[in-house]
Amino acid sequence: MRSLFRPAATSAALYWHLAAAIIASIAIIVLLHRLLGPRGRRWLIAMVTLLGGLYLGMEYFLPVRKDMLWPSHIPNPNPARGANLLSPGIEPVGNMLSVIGAFTVGLGIYSLCQVHGRNIIRRRSGWQNSLAFFLSMLAMLVFGMWSYYLPKPKIESPIMPWPKATYEVLFNGLFNPLQAATFSLLAFYIASAAYRAFRIRSAEAALMMAAAFIVMLGQVPVGAWLTSGLPTTGAAGFFRLEALGDWVMSWLNTPAQRGIVFGIAIGGLAMSLRIWLSLERGTFFAEQG
Amino acid sequence: MMASAPQSPWQRLQGIPRYYIYLLLAAVVVWQILFPIRLPITPSAATKGVFAAIESVPDGKLIIISADWDASTQAETGPQTEAIIHACFQHHKRFALMSLGAPMGIKLADDLARRVAEQYDARYGVEWCNWGYKFGYDNVLIAMAKDIPKTIGTDFHGAPVAQLPMMAGVTEISSIGLVIEITGLAGISEYWIGLIQGVYGTPFASAYTAVMAPGYYPFLDSKQMKGMLVGAKGGAEMELLVGRPGLGGAIMAAQSWAHLFIIALIVLGNVGYLLASASERRRR
Amino acid sequence: MNPDALIVWATAIATLGVYTILYRENPVSRLFEHIFVGLSAGYLIVATWTLNLQGKWWNPMVHDRKWYWVFAPIVGLLFYFIYSKRYLWLARLVMGLFFGTAAGYFFREFFPLYSPQVYACFKPLRADASIGWADVILHHWIFVIILLTVMSYFFFSVPHEGRFGRALGRSAGLGRWFLMIAFGAMFGNTVMARISLFIGRVQFLLNDWLIPSFQRLGLGG
Repeated sequence: MRSLFRPAATSAALYWHLAAAIIASIAIIVLLHRLLGPRGRRWLIAMVTLLGGLYLGMEYFLPVRKDMLWPSHIPNPNPARGANLLSPGIEPVGNMLSVIGAFTVGLGIYSLCQVHGRNIIRRRSGWQNSLAFFLSMLAMLVFGMWSYYLPKPKIESPIMPWPKATYEVLFNGLFNPLQAATFSLLAFYIASAAYRAFRIRSAEAALMMAAAFIVMLGQVPVGAWLTSGLPTTGAAGFFRLEALGDWVMSWLNTPAQRGIVFGIAIGGLAMSLRIWLSLERGTFFAEQG
Repeated sequence: MMASAPQSPWQRLQGIPRYYIYLLLAAVVVWQILFPIRLPITPSAATKGVFAAIESVPDGKLIIISADWDASTQAETGPQTEAIIHACFQHHKRFALMSLGAPMGIKLADDLARRVAEQYDARYGVEWCNWGYKFGYDNVLIAMAKDIPKTIGTDFHGAPVAQLPMMAGVTEISSIGLVIEITGLAGISEYWIGLIQGVYGTPFASAYTAVMAPGYYPFLDSKQMKGMLVGAKGGAEMELLVGRPGLGGAIMAAQSWAHLFIIALIVLGNVGYLLASASERRRR
Repeated sequence: MNPDALIVWATAIATLGVYTILYRENPVSRLFEHIFVGLSAGYLIVATWTLNLQGKWWNPMVHDRKWYWVFAPIVGLLFYFIYSKRYLWLARLVMGLFFGTAAGYFFREFFPLYSPQVYACFKPLRADASIGWADVILHHWIFVIILLTVMSYFFFSVPHEGRFGRALGRSAGLGRWFLMIAFGAMFGNTVMARISLFIGRVQFLLNDWLIPSFQRLGLGG
């Protein structure tokens, strides 16, 4: 089995291996598609889901032994830590899954291109903006790749080749500021929303507002300045805004958040179990026709 | 068509047009940027915890700074990252930047690190390096715990990390003395704590945007985190501890008055609401 | 060429262009929104290739001749069958793999992540040499009371009837009050975060763009 997955000896052998692997994979996929009916497919999906979780879970829960359970042909990076039968595979499996997941980047890109492409083809209102989308995407793609593959200078300098300069303008001059500015709009909206919507209609709302005021003032220097006349230690020191704010965050907020964390933990565990055992029903898990 | 009833002064108090609010907020911030009234800042225990954690990293070990932020939170996470990098250089601790969740931000963090490194004559690959963005979250962490050079592969510039001088002797997670997570994205810290800190005992500290910090106080209380920087305030406090005033401190001056402005707005709105309700009840 | 000046001006124009939306929806802000989405998409492709695929997939497969890495794109590209009704199950196959591994990761991280949280709930409720009664009551008792009442708020499967149920209902009511404090603290922190972002932008517009530009024109000190 190990000899089957040895690296190819030459470039020509590599191409043969690649071709064979691609053809074999396509053949297997076609065979599976033809041979498996809806029940068979559901069974296969459930099995793959189970095995995926089983390997990772078992590798963690199986007991380790300090003496070498590690296959001798793969060096154990840390013999003191010990290993179990599944440990050698965890790193290559993790790397493989990362790479597989990286290929999903095209899903979002394809959707965007589909939407904006239709706008341009059908000359819908605002199609010029869709054109701007494509131009900016292509510009970032071209200059990003070009800049990456330019030879690296021995000494960093503000004077740079024009493709790299263009990439810097696109990234630091447009992309980052647009992102920062878009999120900074929230400051205005939160000010306006707090003014219009935050009304003391009940005692609970008053309590919430009091906590918000204490935290807002306790987190900034002006809050400490407002109560700077109080001593820093002793009972009176408790009422300094920064101390009060810290008390609210550490001793009132923390246990409440922990209660929420426990709820999330139990809910997450239950959901993970249901998904792992393919017990869940929903859009993804609907009957496969 | 019915004419609308004239608004009472209390109703008008609740209905200031939003443009005035926007302009006043901008005016307050511009005023403080141009004419700052700097008030003293006292580092909190949580911030001191991060500083102490960096100080106590054993000399032979590496610090991982996981810069999972991008331009959307740069005003908070930028000063935090800069101050933490200053602390690492000042205490002669080698560190590696990386990102699990923000491919855009790793370049920002790299630019920042370069600028700070110049102040200490720190050399790339010797005192610091950038592992780049690694897709895969938990896949990356589990694999990295067993074999760091193989999992990371190449650095931000495409060079194999194993060839960097500072990576000599860095094999797996026991080579790491501290992980500092700087992020505006919820969920990544749980991977670090659940898969690295909790399993291997690797010390963990963090820096969050203010909006997500309240949810992570339980981890500070349970000592799963050595310390935590909270928003721009945490960045300003860390700047104070490393003796390098920067953007964090400048932001806090404006932040103070902006908070007072928003509190005044909320009070104004509520005064108008309460008086309008009382007036309505009296009329009935 | 030195792009620094161009970067500063592009940043300023982009920032002000986005801020025009504060007045009302307009073509300028919409244009910049589309440019932002396009740049994001382009950068995502560049980053995925240069920071991930090239080093972890292409180089081992082509330069080290580890031919088995070809299975990664074959499996990864199965995701794209999500656009096909006939072959949708192939996309579900690989999504099932990721769902399963996500569940596996959650099982792995559950105990290391949450068991210290449980240990940390057991705070000393009596004064001793290291902690006085004032601290114990102000900190630990309040902590435990808030934790228990908030947890009781989330016990939705127990009806608030009968003696136990009514007691639970009262506890849940108290928990709701404490949750209001937590939400108020979250609101306060949210305001701080949002305002910081705006201050950062104003800082740039004034200190990096406007003032230096005036100074270069000889209009400032």
